[in-house]
Amino acid sequence: MTKALQGRRVLIIEDESLVAMLLETILDDMGCEVIGPDSNIDDGLKSATTEAVLDAALLDVNVAGREVFPVADALKARGVPFVFSTGYGEAGLPEHWRGHPTIQKPFTEGAIRDALMKAMNISLA
Amino acid sequence: MLLDTELRYAGMNQAYLEVTRRRREDLLGRPIMQEYDGGPGAGAAENARRLLASFQKVLSTGQSDSMAVLHYPILIDQPDGTKTYDDRYWSCTHTPVKDDSGRVTHILQNTNDITELERLRRQVGKLRPQEMPSALDSLIGGGMFRRAMSVQADNRRLEIERRQLQDMFMQTPGFVAVLNGPEHVIQMHNGAYGQLIGHRDVLGRPIREALPELAGQGFYDFLDEVLATGEPFQGRQSPVQIQQTPNALLATRYLDFTYQPIRNDAAEIIGVFVQGHDVTESVIAAERQKLMIDELNHRVKNTLATVQSIAMQTARSHDDPRTFAETFQSRIMSLSHTHDLLTRSHWEGADLREVLEHETTAHGLHRLTLNGPNISLDPAMAVSLGMIFHELATNAAKYGALSAGDGRVLVDWSIADLNDPHLAIRWRETGGPSVSQPERRGFGSRLIERNVRHDLAGTVQMHYRDDGFIAEITIPLNKEAA
Repeated sequence: MTKALQGRRVLIIEDESLVAMLLETILDDMGCEVIGPDSNIDDGLKSATTEAVLDAALLDVNVAGREVFPVADALKARGVPFVFSTGYGEAGLPEHWRGHPTIQKPFTEGAIRDALMKAMNISLA
Repeated sequence: MLLDTELRYAGMNQAYLEVTRRRREDLLGRPIMQEYDGGPGAGAAENARRLLASFQKVLSTGQSDSMAVLHYPILIDQPDGTKTYDDRYWSCTHTPVKDDSGRVTHILQNTNDITELERLRRQVGKLRPQEMPSALDSLIGGGMFRRAMSVQADNRRLEIERRQLQDMFMQTPGFVAVLNGPEHVIQMHNGAYGQLIGHRDVLGRPIREALPELAGQGFYDFLDEVLATGEPFQGRQSPVQIQQTPNALLATRYLDFTYQPIRNDAAEIIGVFVQGHDVTESVIAAERQKLMIDELNHRVKNTLATVQSIAMQTARSHDDPRTFAETFQSRIMSLSHTHDLLTRSHWEGADLREVLEHETTAHGLHRLTLNGPNISLDPAMAVSLGMIFHELATNAAKYGALSAGDGRVLVDWSIADLNDPHLAIRWRETGGPSVSQPERRGFGSRLIERNVRHDLAGTVQMHYRDDGFIAEITIPLNKEAA
C-alpha cells in the first residue's frame, strides 16, 4: 500500500458515529492522523479555523440536518484541500461545488484514498 | 330611447314620445317595465319577459340584441282622459353604451313601430292561402317579415344553445373566463375562476384593474401577445401570486392554463379565452415526494455505511468467520429491531422502555429489571440507544452478570434538571462474576463511548467493579440547548 498519505493530519466531520469510526479506521490504516471526528457544524467550523496544522478534510454534506458548506468555505479560504462525503454522490452537491472531489456512501478505502489524493493534488507517478 | 342599467328611462327623442303619446317628464327616471307591463291578456307576461330578457342579455354580454318582432300593447292616453291599451308591434334593437373601461352604463333602444305593416300582413294572409305569397305580399314586406320571423326563431335557438354552452362553462371544474378587447375586460367567468381570484367582483373590468396583483408576473404580457399574434399560449405548473382573501398575503398557486384567441366573423382577434386548472395540490405533493425520496436515499446510504462500518470493525476483532458471522448478524438484527419499532410509529419516535426490552429480551426478561418513567426518544436517539443497549447486553452475556446463572441487570433511568433536562441511565449488573477493566478496548465499548459522545452529545462512565459492571449514561434531551 502506498504511504503517500502517511502522517497527514485529516479532519473528519460526520454526524453518525459508526460511519465516523469507519473513516477513522480507514484513515488510521493509511497512516493519517485523525482530527475530530466532529459531529456537528459548530465543532467542525471551530476545528477548521483553529487547528494549527490541517493537511486535508473529509466532510459529510448533511451533518445533523445542516449543510457542511460553511466549513467548506472556511477550509477553502485557508487553502486546506477537502473531500465531500455524501449518500447522493456529486448530484447532491449544489452547482457551486460540482466537480469537487466527492466520495459516495458506502465507500471503499480505495475511493477515499483516491479522492483525498486528488484533492491534495498528490500523484503517484 | 335610453335606459340606465336599472332599466329606468334616461332619455328619449320626440319621435318616441309621439309614438307612445307620453310626456318626457312623466317617463324620465321611471322603470320601463312598470310603465309598460306587456299589456292585457294571456300574452302579457310573455311579452314582458321577452323584452326584459333582451335588456338583461345586453347588460350581461355587452353586446347589442335585436328583436325583429315584439308584440307589445301599450297604454295610450285618450283625448277624453281615459287610458286604453293599444295593440302594437315593434321591431327594436338594444345597443349597449359603455364607459372608458368597457362597462355598460346605458342601453340605447332603437324602436320601429311596425304595427301597420303587421296588420297589412295579416289581412293579406286572410285573403290568400299562406303557402302562396303574392307579389303584393312580397312588396309590402311579407317576405321580409317571414325572414324576420325565421331570424327570430334562429336567434331563439342560438340563445338556448348559448345558454347551454354557458352553463357548461359555469359548471366545469376547471376555471374559465372570457376577456374582451385590448384591455382584456373580463366579460364572463365561471365559479372555479371566481374561487381562484377570491370571489372578487371583476365582471366588466379590465384585467389590469381587476387583478392588479398580477403585475410583473408575466400574465398581462402573455395576454397582450395572444391578442397581437393570434398564437395560443400554454402555461404548465406556472406559479401565480394571487389575492384569494381580502387584505391577506398573496397566496402562491400553481396553474395549468391556456390562453386562446377569440376571433369574430371577419377573423379579427377580439378577445382571449382563458381556461385551466389549479394544480397546486399535485405540485406540492410532487415536491413532498421528491423530498421524501431524497431523505430516503440519504437514510439508506447512511444505513449502508453504518452496516459497512459494523462489518469492518467486527471483522477486526474476530479471526474466526463463524464467530464473526454470529456477532455481525446480531448487531444487524439489533439495528433492524429498532427500525421496526420506529416504523410502527411512522418514524416519529420510540419509547425508551420498548427499546430496552427489544434489545434485552433475548437474555431472559426475568433477569432484567427495567425501572423508569415513560420517555419518548426521537428516531436518531432510539437508533443510538438501541445499539448501545445491544452492546451492553452482549457484554453482560459474554463476561458479566448474564454469563452466570444468578446474575441480574438493573436498569434505572430518570430525568434530571428540569430546566435543562438530561436523561440519566444507570446499567448495573449484580450477582455475576467479578469484572476488571479489559486490557484492550473492544469495538463494543468503543461503539458505546463514541455513540454517547458523538451522536447523543452525552457522557458515559463505565466502572468495572468486583461486584459487577456499571455504566452511567447522561444524555441532554434538548439537543439544541446542549
